Amino acid sequence: MRNGTLAGALVLSAVAAFVGCNHAGPAARAPQAAATVRAPAPPDFGPRDVDAMLEKAWTEKGVTPAAAADDATFLRRAYVDIVGTIPPPERVVSFLADRSPNKRAKLVDELLASPDYAEHWADYWEDQLMGQARAADIDRFAFRLWLRDAFAKNTPWDRMVYALVTATGQNSPGGPRPKSMSEAERAIEKSPEPVNGAVDWVLKYRDTPQDWAGNASKTFLGVQIQCAQCHDHKTEKWTQKDFRQFAACFMRAQTLPLDGLMQKGQKRAIVRDIDRPLPRFMRNPDLVDIGRAEPTALDGTPMTDDPRESIAKWITTSPAFAVEAVNRMWGHFLGRGFVDPVDDVRPSNPADAPELEQALAKDFATHGYDWKRLIRTIALARAYGLSTSSASPVLWSRFRATPLGPNEMLDALIDATGIDDALRRMGRFDVDALTERLRQLYGFVFDVDEESDEQSFEGTITQALVQLNGRLVAGGSTALPGTAVARIARSDMSADKKIEALYLRTVSRPPTADELASWTKYFADPPPVSAPEVVDRKTPGPFRRVPETRDPKIAAVEDLMWTLLNSSEFVLNH
Amino acid sequence: MQRRHFLILGASAFFSAMLERAARADARPAKAKAMILLWMNGGPSHLDTWDPKPRHPNGGPTKAIRTSQRGLQISEHMPSLARVARKLTVVRSMTSREGNHQRAEYLMHTGYAPTPTLVHPSLGAWVAKKIGGPQNGLPPFVSIGGPSYGAGFLGVSNGPFVVLKAGAPPDDVTPATSSDRFARRQALLAQAEQRFAERSGSPMVAERRAVYARATSLMGSADLSAFDHSDEPQAVKTAYGETDFGRGCIVARRLVSAGVRFVEVVQDGWDTHQDNFNRVGKQLGIVDPAVAALVDDLDRRGMLASTLVVWLGDFGRSPKINAREGRDHHPKAWSAMLAGGGTRPGLVGATDAGGENVAGTAYGVPDLLATCASLMGLDPREQVTTPVGRPITITDGGNPIAPAMA
Repeated sequence: MRNGTLAGALVLSAVAAFVGCNHAGPAARAPQAAATVRAPAPPDFGPRDVDAMLEKAWTEKGVTPAAAADDATFLRRAYVDIVGTIPPPERVVSFLADRSPNKRAKLVDELLASPDYAEHWADYWEDQLMGQARAADIDRFAFRLWLRDAFAKNTPWDRMVYALVTATGQNSPGGPRPKSMSEAERAIEKSPEPVNGAVDWVLKYRDTPQDWAGNASKTFLGVQIQCAQCHDHKTEKWTQKDFRQFAACFMRAQTLPLDGLMQKGQKRAIVRDIDRPLPRFMRNPDLVDIGRAEPTALDGTPMTDDPRESIAKWITTSPAFAVEAVNRMWGHFLGRGFVDPVDDVRPSNPADAPELEQALAKDFATHGYDWKRLIRTIALARAYGLSTSSASPVLWSRFRATPLGPNEMLDALIDATGIDDALRRMGRFDVDALTERLRQLYGFVFDVDEESDEQSFEGTITQALVQLNGRLVAGGSTALPGTAVARIARSDMSADKKIEALYLRTVSRPPTADELASWTKYFADPPPVSAPEVVDRKTPGPFRRVPETRDPKIAAVEDLMWTLLNSSEFVLNH
Repeated sequence: MQRRHFLILGASAFFSAMLERAARADARPAKAKAMILLWMNGGPSHLDTWDPKPRHPNGGPTKAIRTSQRGLQISEHMPSLARVARKLTVVRSMTSREGNHQRAEYLMHTGYAPTPTLVHPSLGAWVAKKIGGPQNGLPPFVSIGGPSYGAGFLGVSNGPFVVLKAGAPPDDVTPATSSDRFARRQALLAQAEQRFAERSGSPMVAERRAVYARATSLMGSADLSAFDHSDEPQAVKTAYGETDFGRGCIVARRLVSAGVRFVEVVQDGWDTHQDNFNRVGKQLGIVDPAVAALVDDLDRRGMLASTLVVWLGDFGRSPKINAREGRDHHPKAWSAMLAGGGTRPGLVGATDAGGENVAGTAYGVPDLLATCASLMGLDPREQVTTPVGRPITITDGGNPIAPAMA
């Protein structure tokens, strides 16, 4: 897939011709769509320009921003937000030791260049675009690989969205469902037919073009046009007619299954457009009025010639497209977008600091919709480097703590504990496949509700139980051969060094003097470990109940690890 | 309601008293203390369960049998339910417009069609929020065998506590270490949290502590064994059928006894696009004994009057049998079954001869959920404001189904 996507995009036109599409492939037109907005040598709008605008806004509002966060806090934050996990302990040490004045900029560049960058943003967008959608012909691996590949190449956002909205071709290599990303990658490379993972997003909306239209508008433009599906919007300008005409652009994608109903595993299908709304939609009383509407963009431009391609072009060149991307990214890094929620732009929900939002959007659009450039600007702005505090933030005057997302949490736990190494050493398990299973578990358990008030911590009993007693945390805080805690506990380091090593691994900072003192005391006189009371029911697999350590000196180190993994400091991005 | 009539009649004491009573009918005191939702995932065929049509070509090979309820005939594959039928309310006149699984499941659980602007709370979440949980550490809302639907804007703390494997204790409720070591770790953690709360000033630390406290009180609950059915007599296990769904029904009864307010039990496998008749027969072989045993068991324990049992799926299935001996999605007409909790046993409504359309008054999903809410003592018309300031009621304008209520 790595090099398969571009090739896939190129042969798409061939596939399109093969399945009888009456238009040229998207790869042929996308660059033209983008070229119209790219002017030569546009002025730069960088982090210092962001600061100047925000500082002016703070002064006008009489707001005093919080103090700057210390280096360790910034490092952890940047890791979590840019590459989706916590920094390795060696990086904490080297970053704190680095005396160069531009070390934060160097760090951000290093993270943007890391392979984890593409993994993280593929995770993020898979979640945003696919949610919990599962079906026999939705190949989530192919989709994630498509995204990963695009982010690895830093594909301009307008081109990515164009490719998504216009996606045609085959969804998956088929065959047995892969257990891990690497397995999926191999299957796609071996597939005789080219696979276009973007098609899997289209398949999600196979029966619900109205939702497809609504989600495309919401996700890429921040416009919640779908409110007008049932009736004219009460407070906003959108009418039912606007919605129907917009949704009419999404009525022609036809799914041709390549595998029979009885086929097990991953089902293959081809998506192509026909030259009119699908007949089955026209027989559906909920869709027939959409099918009869004239395909039209939200600004009234008719989308007559190949509506799906036209609307993709319109979306990716609309001014709202860059604004929404910027708003979303600002919200990701700063905890709250200019417009909040990040995908609900409307006159009755005005933006905070709209001039700043517009300036960033302009810079994003005029510099080739370059995510890395945008992230660099935001991450190096003063607001992103402020500390948290108990006062409620006005215009991002203090940093908002947010809980780690499901994948961030899982990766942070794996990286902090080294549990994957321990499992590899046991040699009996496919660690990638296990990680994939854990991803699903964590995705299910830690899926945070976007609707909730982000100022407060919303959690479930299950989440707490998984942290308190789950096998991942239990295994990671038990001195099993290969785990970090075993290495540290059994080393000949002094107590101070052991404590420091665990703090660096988990909360990405050295312990304070106070913490060092109380844990040294605990280590010096560790409480005895009593015999376990519960006998394990025979759970198969590697996450069977972990045998408890009996040596109190080792157990004390485990207790510290467990405490750190359960702490809010570990679980929050702060 | 009928404000115009009120004005025409004038405010005679007699009439106003009557109208007041009618207006209060939606918010009457709770008949049901708890609700058990038996969720038939995939959409069960109404024609091969509660609404058989043996004399019509659409009916297929499914025969109808008489039941203990006079005038009610149901599928031959539901002999146990036929026996307890005099305790059941069968509504054959349900209708909806959502023929897509995801949209239909959302509608059935929340009373609203999905919209991208708002995630609606499921009925279980409303119950959790408005009524709350028992004092013994058990959560108010439990889902067994499936994820159910969450709390939307009410916040995840009101969502379901999900148990995927029925009959055994939930995952991760026992500490990985001896209990004294677990207690010690709790104290160490409290200290670390205190330090971080002071340093960061974040109110999230205290809120997270509160969630941990709920988790540890569940761990320590004397009623945790309600999740575990292993101590049930063999005769009970046999009656419910030794299946995941049967075990789920036993656990639902145990949880309700222990004070849990809303339990969902899921039976998957109803999406019978092909081989409908064999597959429905198999499904009913699981569901029929379990649901009948649940109703009987609740009744025998004197809990049926205060426990509302509801049997429901995505939609009905197409009366016309397709080329693969299957039935496709059919939201236009389908059946729901209710029992206990203040329902009135009997048959409500009918479909036409071929099971295509509702004949006479049809009820929508919001009406069904308003019925359940109202029996649970929640006012389906009460307005709540969402975080973005939108007023919203529990269901999308539903009215309780009067003939289904005692």
